[in-house]
Amino acid sequence: MSVLEVKNLTHIFPDGKEAVKNISLQINDGEFVIIAGSNGSGKTVFIRHLNGLLAPTKGEVLIDGEPITKNIIKARRKIGLIFQDSDSQIVGQTVAEDVAFGPENLNLPVSEVDRIVQEVLETVGLSEMANQSPHTLSGGQKRKLAVAGVLAMKPDIIMFDEPFTGLDYPGVIQVLQQLVELHNAGHTIILVTHELEKVLAHADRLIIIHKGELAEDGDPEDVIYRAESYGVRMPLKNGERVGELTWLR
Amino acid sequence: MAQVTFFHYIHKDTVLHRMDGRLKLLCMLILSVSSGFATDWWDYLVPLALAAAALIAARLPVIALLKDMRFFAVIILIVMVTNAFTIQGDPIPYFPIRYVSVQGAVTGLRFAGRLILIIMVCTVVTGTTSLLTFKNVIEWYLRPIPFVPEVRVATMINLTFVFIPVIFDSYTEMVNAQKSRCVELRKNPIKRMKFIVFPLLSRTLRRTDEIVYAMESRCYSEVRTRAVFRTNKADWLILAVCIAVLVFVIL
Repeated sequence: MSVLEVKNLTHIFPDGKEAVKNISLQINDGEFVIIAGSNGSGKTVFIRHLNGLLAPTKGEVLIDGEPITKNIIKARRKIGLIFQDSDSQIVGQTVAEDVAFGPENLNLPVSEVDRIVQEVLETVGLSEMANQSPHTLSGGQKRKLAVAGVLAMKPDIIMFDEPFTGLDYPGVIQVLQQLVELHNAGHTIILVTHELEKVLAHADRLIIIHKGELAEDGDPEDVIYRAESYGVRMPLKNGERVGELTWLR
Repeated sequence: MAQVTFFHYIHKDTVLHRMDGRLKLLCMLILSVSSGFATDWWDYLVPLALAAAALIAARLPVIALLKDMRFFAVIILIVMVTNAFTIQGDPIPYFPIRYVSVQGAVTGLRFAGRLILIIMVCTVVTGTTSLLTFKNVIEWYLRPIPFVPEVRVATMINLTFVFIPVIFDSYTEMVNAQKSRCVELRKNPIKRMKFIVFPLLSRTLRRTDEIVYAMESRCYSEVRTRAVFRTNKADWLILAVCIAVLVFVIL
């Protein structure tokens, strides 16, 4: 069943640059979708339309068949976005305060906010650090906190924008484990990355955006062989299969 | 700066840490105001003794704080010396420097007493109150004032405190990157500054855009969950003691 639908989405910046060109697609409930593409291909601009952070020049985005412009708060609650730079996403002075930011925006009662914060911190394994300053966390922990901040909004769909950037090996593993756990828990995952070798094995679908256009959309087993022609590194080595493309062992 | 302990929150479980932030801020104001009314030595000693007791009760690292406060010691010394030299009066008997008067030395000591009291009170309050509580208290005090967007003001204060270390890190990174390209060889300090200020400003502005997007994507709203303050008997007792000290100093 389709939960998210994009119809003829085009985004033109004020300087005339066409960042996204007429993209149409549907995302199904529970899918794990990877959006790949070279730097500047329009991936980030595209996903920022999906929860209404950017308004399209043409086209529309529908959630559960309804345009997101009808109820932008509903769209943002339903679709969480984890930004590439966690430091820009973290707004609290302590770990717990940052997680509480979203529920407090929704004007939930204090007891409810406290319950959600506790629950979410336990889910991501940061309970011990609740009173710590986010600035003192490692890269992987900051990414976990960013995820916690989004989970506190109880989203159905979670989008990750380049979640592996700047992380060391344990950090990548932590994020990857979390991605897989969230998917197993029933969340729809949209992951923007060009580091396919770390995660492609877990994806149901691979989309490639090239120069703002939807270049490929399909089964990772099929699409991967054409990825290099769009500036995405071919991650498969001789005899390797897509199912082996993960850093999780 | 990371090692400096004064004016920083230090997490402990004491009566002062648990105290209602609104009353704590009020106590700080009362004790600071009391220093303005002080005339004789008891008026200085009583509030100072109370502040010292609070410092101990808050289980703050007194020795580390004293070490960090060397900077304030210099300021206090300057205040004392300036007063001693500039206020005319009777010379101090047997004192080798003629220009120092008794009246000047006494005024200098009183000013020093006021400064020490204010610094001690601020140290206790900041050491026992998290920034989140401060933000909530400011929001609470601003709420009755018409035309003041208290939530926005509190959010701005909050974001400022959150992003100071992030901007400081960016600055350090940029300075190091430029040092590695021998920026020291440029003799003109204004040109050197230019290479730091503009990239830092541009990076900060880009980051600001990202923060706005991040806050929007988490449904930022000014109609937010309000903080709940809890006041217990001990809080009222502390406030009563502070008021009593103020009355004692005034009378």
